[in-house]
Amino acid sequence: MNAWILAATILLGAGLTAALWGVASGPLSRRMVAQNLTTAVACPSLLLLAQGYHRPSYVDLALLLALLGPVGTLVFARLLADELAVATPAAWGLTWTAAGVSAAVVVAVCAATGPSRAMVKLLVTGVLLIGGNLVASRALQGGFRQVRGG
Amino acid sequence: MSRRLRLAVLAVGGTGLAALLVLACLDLPSFGGRWHPYGEAAVRASLDRHTANTVAFVNFDLRAHDTLGEMSILFAAVVGCVVLLRQARDEHREPPQPSDVAPPVRRYALLVLPVALVVGLYVVAHGQLSPGGGFQGGVVAATALHLLYLGADYRALERVRPIGTYEVTDALGTCAYLVVGLAGVLAGTAFLANTLLPYGTFNTLSSGGTVPLLNAAIGMEVTSAVVVLLARFLDQAVEIEEEQGS
Amino acid sequence: MADAVIVVVLLLVAATATAAVATRDPSRQALVLSLQGVVLAVLFTVLQAPDVALSQLAVGSALTPLLIMLSVRKVRRRARTTDEGGDG
Repeated sequence: MNAWILAATILLGAGLTAALWGVASGPLSRRMVAQNLTTAVACPSLLLLAQGYHRPSYVDLALLLALLGPVGTLVFARLLADELAVATPAAWGLTWTAAGVSAAVVVAVCAATGPSRAMVKLLVTGVLLIGGNLVASRALQGGFRQVRGG
Repeated sequence: MSRRLRLAVLAVGGTGLAALLVLACLDLPSFGGRWHPYGEAAVRASLDRHTANTVAFVNFDLRAHDTLGEMSILFAAVVGCVVLLRQARDEHREPPQPSDVAPPVRRYALLVLPVALVVGLYVVAHGQLSPGGGFQGGVVAATALHLLYLGADYRALERVRPIGTYEVTDALGTCAYLVVGLAGVLAGTAFLANTLLPYGTFNTLSSGGTVPLLNAAIGMEVTSAVVVLLARFLDQAVEIEEEQGS
Repeated sequence: MADAVIVVVLLLVAATATAAVATRDPSRQALVLSLQGVVLAVLFTVLQAPDVALSQLAVGSALTPLLIMLSVRKVRRRARTTDEGGDG
């Protein structure tokens, strides 16, 4: 076990336990914030695992999750907009922490990879991950408030 | 059946299952071993035919018949959904109201839509080289289209999604797989045998003989199948209303 | 020690699956299910099966939640129209 896999284990263990606790209890708004946190935890972990196993092709997994994770949160935000309108979640501290962790992981993995085409893929993944995370948080805070019945 | 009898049947079944599982566990190879006879054989055969991703080789060459079966299951499931979720006689369509999504979300959806489509095509095209393939990439591409529903409204999605075309593409993808298989028969070998095309240079997009062709057929079939499936679900959830008082 | 990550992820799979079963409301259950999809994808990754993990990610992160939530919306809307029809 090397440092990359150790970092991934700690991130997965702590982050996903917190996400599970959040998603399985409490009001709907808290559950949705926790669901959004899942992507922000799992995607950097997959990048760390790809680096730890020395398998650059595993980065595709992180890329896919960075793309589709926020889409999943948007699905929930849109189709549960009626229920969300009552209690608006405010978790910008958590969102920015997650974005900071993602950025740190992407920078560390990029530094280990060195300038190449693989690094471009890592940077695209990072941008999609952080951008998607911020937009999904915005969507949870009333992004679909005007949507009714559609 | 009384409650007690049902519990007894459950107990008998559960005990049998537990006994079989324990027996099977006793005979398992130890966890995380590095040697497996089937794995060795599959990797050697896959390198012989210049396919870098052994999983894609197993799916589209060694076990191409299984993939044909899986594809037929998806095809039949989608046909079943189309029949079950059609508009019934006592239902009518109500055009959905235009919706007003927050600008950042709308911009994100419009920006990510093309990126997701390209990533879907990339995953399909590199199926025989890196993890991925027709199924995974097809699902990503089909999901990407539905960002239009999430970021705008259902009418925007309907405008770019002629459902008839996707139904035809679904059938065409299924046919393409069969045609590649039958080409093997016509060439004098066997159905779905990978002896038709040159195997190409190892680790390039055109390597692996018929593997990339079958992979592309699956990609086409899955993309259209998921789009058609989601279209039926969206129709039911957003547009089709039951007649009042029926 | 090298298998620590596998043990952690297996425990997470067991915990999320239990949470998914214990949640009663379908829309909240779909939220737990989407988390479980991601955890399963991570499990397949640490067991060195990236192709399966990709399938799980592609289906579990956006497609399954969309199908479930659309079905829930249809059922709820139907209940609402039936109520209105009964009242009027």
